[in-house]
Amino acid sequence: MSSSAAPAHLLPLTSSTASRRRNSSATASVSRLHSPNSIVQPNLPSVAVSASLQNPKPSKSPPFLLNYLISPKSLGPCAASCILFHLAKPVFSGSGTIFNLGGGGGGGGGGGAGGGGGGGGGSDGGQGGGFWSRIFSPAAIAKDDEPQQEWDTHGLPANIVVQLNKLSGFKKYKVSEILFLDRRRGSTVGTEDSFFEMVSLRPGGIYNKAQLQKELETLATCGMFEKVDLETKTNPDGTISITIPFLESTWQSADRFRCINVGLMPQSKPIEMDPDMTEKERLEYYRSQEKDYRRRIERSRPCLLPIAVQREILQMLRQQGKVSARLLQRIRDRVQQWYHENGYACAQVVNFGNLNTKEVVCEVVEGDITQLVIQFQDKLGNTCEGNTQFPVIKRELPKQLRQGQVFNIEAGKQALRNINSLALFSNIEVNPRPDEKNEGGIIVEVKLKELEQKSAEVSTEWSIVPGRGGRPTLASIQPGGTVSFEHRNIKGLNRSLLGSVTTSNFLNPQDDLAFKLEYVHPYLDGVYNPRNRTFRASCFNSRKLSPVFTGGPGIEEVPPIWVDRAGVKANITENFTRQSKFTYGLVMEEITTRDESSHIAANGQRVLPSGGVSADGPPTTLSGTGVDRMAFLQANITRDNTKFLNGAIVGERNVFQLDQGLGIGSKFPFFNRHQLTVTRFLQLKQVEEGAGKPPPPVLVLHGHYGGCVGDLPSYDAFTLGGPYSVRGYNMGELGAARNILELAAELRIPIRNTHVYVFAEHGNDLGSSKDVKGNPTEVYRRVGHGSSYGVGAKLGLVRAEYAVDQNSGTGAVFFRFGERF
Amino acid sequence: MAGQLVREWTAIQQFPAATQEKLVDLLGKLKNQDVNTLTILVMGKGGVGKSSTVNSIIGERVVTVSAFQSETPRPVMVSRSRSGFTLNIIDTPGLVEGGYVSDQVLDTIKRFLLNKTIDVLLYVDRLDAYRVDNLDKQIVKAITDSFGRDIWHKAMVVLTHAQLSPPDALSYEEFFSKRSESLLKCVRQGAKISKKDVKNFGIPVALVENSGRCNKNENDEKILPTGTPWIPNLVHIITDVSLNGKASILVDQKLIEGPNANDRGKVFIPLILAFQYFFVIKPIQKWIKDDVARESKPSWD
Repeated sequence: MSSSAAPAHLLPLTSSTASRRRNSSATASVSRLHSPNSIVQPNLPSVAVSASLQNPKPSKSPPFLLNYLISPKSLGPCAASCILFHLAKPVFSGSGTIFNLGGGGGGGGGGGAGGGGGGGGGSDGGQGGGFWSRIFSPAAIAKDDEPQQEWDTHGLPANIVVQLNKLSGFKKYKVSEILFLDRRRGSTVGTEDSFFEMVSLRPGGIYNKAQLQKELETLATCGMFEKVDLETKTNPDGTISITIPFLESTWQSADRFRCINVGLMPQSKPIEMDPDMTEKERLEYYRSQEKDYRRRIERSRPCLLPIAVQREILQMLRQQGKVSARLLQRIRDRVQQWYHENGYACAQVVNFGNLNTKEVVCEVVEGDITQLVIQFQDKLGNTCEGNTQFPVIKRELPKQLRQGQVFNIEAGKQALRNINSLALFSNIEVNPRPDEKNEGGIIVEVKLKELEQKSAEVSTEWSIVPGRGGRPTLASIQPGGTVSFEHRNIKGLNRSLLGSVTTSNFLNPQDDLAFKLEYVHPYLDGVYNPRNRTFRASCFNSRKLSPVFTGGPGIEEVPPIWVDRAGVKANITENFTRQSKFTYGLVMEEITTRDESSHIAANGQRVLPSGGVSADGPPTTLSGTGVDRMAFLQANITRDNTKFLNGAIVGERNVFQLDQGLGIGSKFPFFNRHQLTVTRFLQLKQVEEGAGKPPPPVLVLHGHYGGCVGDLPSYDAFTLGGPYSVRGYNMGELGAARNILELAAELRIPIRNTHVYVFAEHGNDLGSSKDVKGNPTEVYRRVGHGSSYGVGAKLGLVRAEYAVDQNSGTGAVFFRFGERF
Repeated sequence: MAGQLVREWTAIQQFPAATQEKLVDLLGKLKNQDVNTLTILVMGKGGVGKSSTVNSIIGERVVTVSAFQSETPRPVMVSRSRSGFTLNIIDTPGLVEGGYVSDQVLDTIKRFLLNKTIDVLLYVDRLDAYRVDNLDKQIVKAITDSFGRDIWHKAMVVLTHAQLSPPDALSYEEFFSKRSESLLKCVRQGAKISKKDVKNFGIPVALVENSGRCNKNENDEKILPTGTPWIPNLVHIITDVSLNGKASILVDQKLIEGPNANDRGKVFIPLILAFQYFFVIKPIQKWIKDDVARESKPSWD
């Protein structure tokens, strides 16, 4: 009994063939009497181990599928097929790894074959559907059978009613028709009636006598019928029609409804009623049953079902008058529907109690989590000792997944996403599994495959430079590439150290050596502390083309200035939400400005009208030597509550960035450089949220102020113009200034799965160009302010836009990657 | 001025006696006011006759002049002394190069003028140009930006090529007044002198004719079509400007480089930082907290 009750709390599929099939093999053990007022257990998807012997089609199913179906854990995968999802993640090796969140049975280990089946379903959901439909679809079965002509004609005169026990035990009968006959009303019920869910017999199916008898037994014991029979009628073509005359069970009408959570409560076993009991004993017996049941209700916990749904059910009860089996079935469906719609995938109506009183008690096993198990697996899938410390994983799990909570599939998905964002695991599974020791309990298993802790990579490229006469010579072959190493998850606390060196020529690396060494230390306040602060320290270098030394419109090429930065950085990042964070730290860097030929340049160059180049342009550095060293504090606070609404971004984002010079470095730089960015994504129309629904039109308003008080070397000046400043101009084409203000507005109108937009932007130096030493804005003949407007369309990742710059009044088409805001 | 040779102003004797007399008179007037040195800065577009004017004032060919090309690659200072009085005239290359005000030329002029005091600025242009364009304004603006607006207190406009026959239907005086008025207007605009300030900046205008074919009067003095001998007239206005009570312009490092924007507001940085912390970072942190509180929790949470 207990072995059959355990699976009762497994993930059910409320509708369709799956439950039919399961029901077909349900045994008599499912009906339990809790009180003298008979209790019905309609259509409980329960499977007994012994059911394997009674499977209606043992020979037709492939062996492993059979095992899969009948194993006590087999119900899990049924549900799993609807909750399965994949999460692809690019990993270090570059190949995609699939994470799946399997259902109870897939990982639950319903025998090796069962596991295999789950795996198969997991790897290809689409095929899985086909697979299920093939099993459960009677049409498919019939199709399989027909060519073989495996059924026998009844061999009796046509159109006579034959008692079930008169049928031959050796023949396989083909059933051409099944009818339910309501004796009370004297009419047959339609095929859409819920009773049809109760039988596994299907028109066109082939059954022997034992199967039909079994079917009848199932119907008789399911509690739905007061009386039920099975009659067969012979047809002229050798097939038989089945008529099931029945008397539906009904109880007193009820005007109260109660829903209780009976999870983790021992299932009360009915004491077999001795038929030889005296009247007094019988009364005694009933009374004790009633008392037991009342106690059971008292001990049960309140359930999650909201009042609104309860009221809805009460309405159903009142309308109906008498409580019938079919009504209870409908109530069950409604209750389960609510649970499943809200992610409580393990919730299940197990019983209706207290019938024939004024109250209907709906007993639900909600799927309480009794245990949370975190397991590590090696490459072969065997359980092994993990390197990662448990608190690191536990802090990523939502509260809803802790012991004592009701299992929710959404919480499971959230856990999966959170753990995935740690980037420590190549495979993550979150599985609910029935707790064998604790009836109605769910064990949540988190199975993790860890990524390799240490990795090193060398990638090389040989660039062949054309030598004399255009022919590559041996000397012109340069070995270039990247050497990188990574040590992840140090001490199992997700600390990591990574470094990389890139150059195009390892024999002469001083030319363009790029390096990076970074140490990341999360959980600065301790892994148990909910505060999420991460410490980072890094050595870096970078080389960028300075937009400060760019010509305005109409000016010939301005000789470029490269800004090389190399230094160390240490900062602490506190994450408030996934998007909002606060970072603060110290930067020490050396800035070197170089000209085209990589010589240190202390001043920008300018082209003289005569065509010559003079190197007496604006100074590139604060020190005037071309090399600056400085230390400053850097802080950045980002508040971002944007979210995707049907694919369109709505919400707001504010970023404040501050560089505070400390007076340490060349010429004792002391400055306060600040930037404030405010972006609003205003939804212009209320839309319904959901997949496939159209996104709303969005108005984007954007403002950016940048300013600096104190020492301002030209490489730190704010530049105007460019795809992220004022569109329609080149980077820095409008000027380089001490204070800038940029304003932009963009209207996005969704069209099909993308959007088109119109925009207008303005950037202004607020007259502060002259406050940059050497006035690079004026030297390179830039205006210092400018506006633009245009239209564009988003094509996948690319933005195609036509922007008109108002300084010259000409327009141009641009293609850009990524978002402007 | 140290190291630079200060020669005796001998060429003064080459002037006609009448002119000499007037000049000596004016110099005496300056000496009476305790002015022993007078530094004149000559600026203007290229080819308007700056160098010729300098030569005319000194009375000898101190700066090379050529009709067709710029002969003044860098500023030149000519110094002449007479009986304890020193006259310095700084001739500069034309400010316009390739249709733009040349920053480079301006830069060399500024560097040349470092630590010198300018008593009078001669802004030179031609009388026989009919139009004033944006470039003129740019030049005035460049001068203003380099030496400050106050230099126009010590400035005068010099119009060369004064001996001309004005276009039809205009008398010489009319033409002159129109031309000088339009140029002065341009100067006022370029130097951002507001209408209220116009009285404060009384910029005089003088006419010059450097040509050898210049008409002369009975005293052999070069005269303008109006009959005024122009050299004494010019020097007279120069002395007037130098004695107009306004301070001379000392060109020092600060003036050349302009106010150092890097130093501006530096003392307020701690205050700014505190402001940013309390009125920017803190409110944003509060907003984030509100966001977290407001975040729509999934139904299962």
